[in-house]
Amino acid sequence: MTPAEIWRLTVEHAALTGAALGIAAGLGLPGGVAMARSVRTRGIFLGAAGVVQTIPSLALFGFLIPLPFIGGIGKGTAIVALALYALLPVLRNTVTGILGVDPAVRESAVAMGMTQAQLLWQVELPLAARTILAGIRIATVTTIGTATIAAAIGGGGLGVFIFRGLASVDTAQILAGAIPAAAMALLAEGGLTWAERRLSPY
Amino acid sequence: MGRTPFVALLTLALAGCAPRATIVVASKNFTEQVVLGEILAQHIERHLNVEVDRKLNLGGTLLAHQALISGQIDLYPEYSGTALTAILKMDPMDDPDAVEEAVRREYRARWDVEWRPGLGFNNAFAMVVRCEQARRENLRTLSDAARRPVPWRLGVGYEFVQRPDGLARLQAAYGLPLDGRPVDMDLGLLYRAVQQGQVDMAAGNATDGVIEALGLCVLDDDRRHFLPYRAAVAVRAEALSTHEGLRTALAALEGRIGEDAMRRMNAAVDGGKRPVAEVAREFLATL
Repeated sequence: MTPAEIWRLTVEHAALTGAALGIAAGLGLPGGVAMARSVRTRGIFLGAAGVVQTIPSLALFGFLIPLPFIGGIGKGTAIVALALYALLPVLRNTVTGILGVDPAVRESAVAMGMTQAQLLWQVELPLAARTILAGIRIATVTTIGTATIAAAIGGGGLGVFIFRGLASVDTAQILAGAIPAAAMALLAEGGLTWAERRLSPY
Repeated sequence: MGRTPFVALLTLALAGCAPRATIVVASKNFTEQVVLGEILAQHIERHLNVEVDRKLNLGGTLLAHQALISGQIDLYPEYSGTALTAILKMDPMDDPDAVEEAVRREYRARWDVEWRPGLGFNNAFAMVVRCEQARRENLRTLSDAARRPVPWRLGVGYEFVQRPDGLARLQAAYGLPLDGRPVDMDLGLLYRAVQQGQVDMAAGNATDGVIEALGLCVLDDDRRHFLPYRAAVAVRAEALSTHEGLRTALAALEGRIGEDAMRRMNAAVDGGKRPVAEVAREFLATL
């Protein structure tokens, strides 16, 4: 537990979180936009994302180990699992944000002759930005916390300290994992809250 | 409402629970511990007129030990080697009896906790490989494994990296050729990873039932390098003096749970998916 090791695992933790959020946002934002248009897909996919959230992480890892490409042990599997967990808040807030746009505003945009794309980019997304960003913020902060489970599948990150400390009755070791993770979560919360205020039109 | 009926009600309520004292039985969060915890709980329920409160999934040695010395639980099963190195932070010793003696002395002096005589089995670290591979490459002992020309992809549980008798001492004794840094991860997942060929060798625990269930074999520790991990009950001295008969009840279990019996029970729960309470009840019936 040297400063160098703490730093290495903190960077690893940030990388795991970043990769998982990248995937979750990459799938969740377009997915959420598509689902806002269709009641049926909304039910299916939000339901599925909700079910995934309830699977305990170790069980999910157990399912993933034998799978080719996305499975096995190490960082890849950890990122897949974290991305699955982060998907729900991103999806849900994107859908909620877009559905929350005042129908009157949408109608007047259509009456002004806007195309579907213009409606999306110039009206719906700007008005929904705050809710969507809130979803990403929630996903980020929870993922920083849940990324500690990556250690269970050999994916590294700050969870290594926490699990080792728990296994070997070493409080200092647990704190070496918990404190940087908490600091990272607070930093992300602060930064994204600031971004939410900056980017929203209100 | 006047005060009298309220006081009467309170007295009645207190009197209602007075004769049934409670013993809190705990265990750590892996199969063997939960099985042992359940055996202890059922055994105590049967022999003492007490309520048994089960806390059978405490997340690790640290939590179980803290709960014990702070009086939130009365007893839990622990292993001599774990107590010596992880809890007491003492240097490893080779002689199993010396380990037990040191643990018993220190527990009493530091926390007024009694370290009972062993339950009858030793759950030491064990290096496991796929049986099929062991047969194919003719590997029986860790010395055989050390002579393998192809380096091992090794996976270890969290404890193994940290323990003074873990990875460092293993390598000092055998010098296994390794392919990069060992992966450290959750032990339950690790066994699966060996079975699936994601790693070739794992540091596990000798009595884990899942070893057999997944077609894995233990390589013999031919240089007797691993510390003894004799399972025993750690119990608060206060609980022993408060609950008459607890000492006798515990003594009836001591030395009665052998390695094979333990492995079979672990396998019944892990591989056989049998309920823990049932497995424990069947075992107690054989005593």
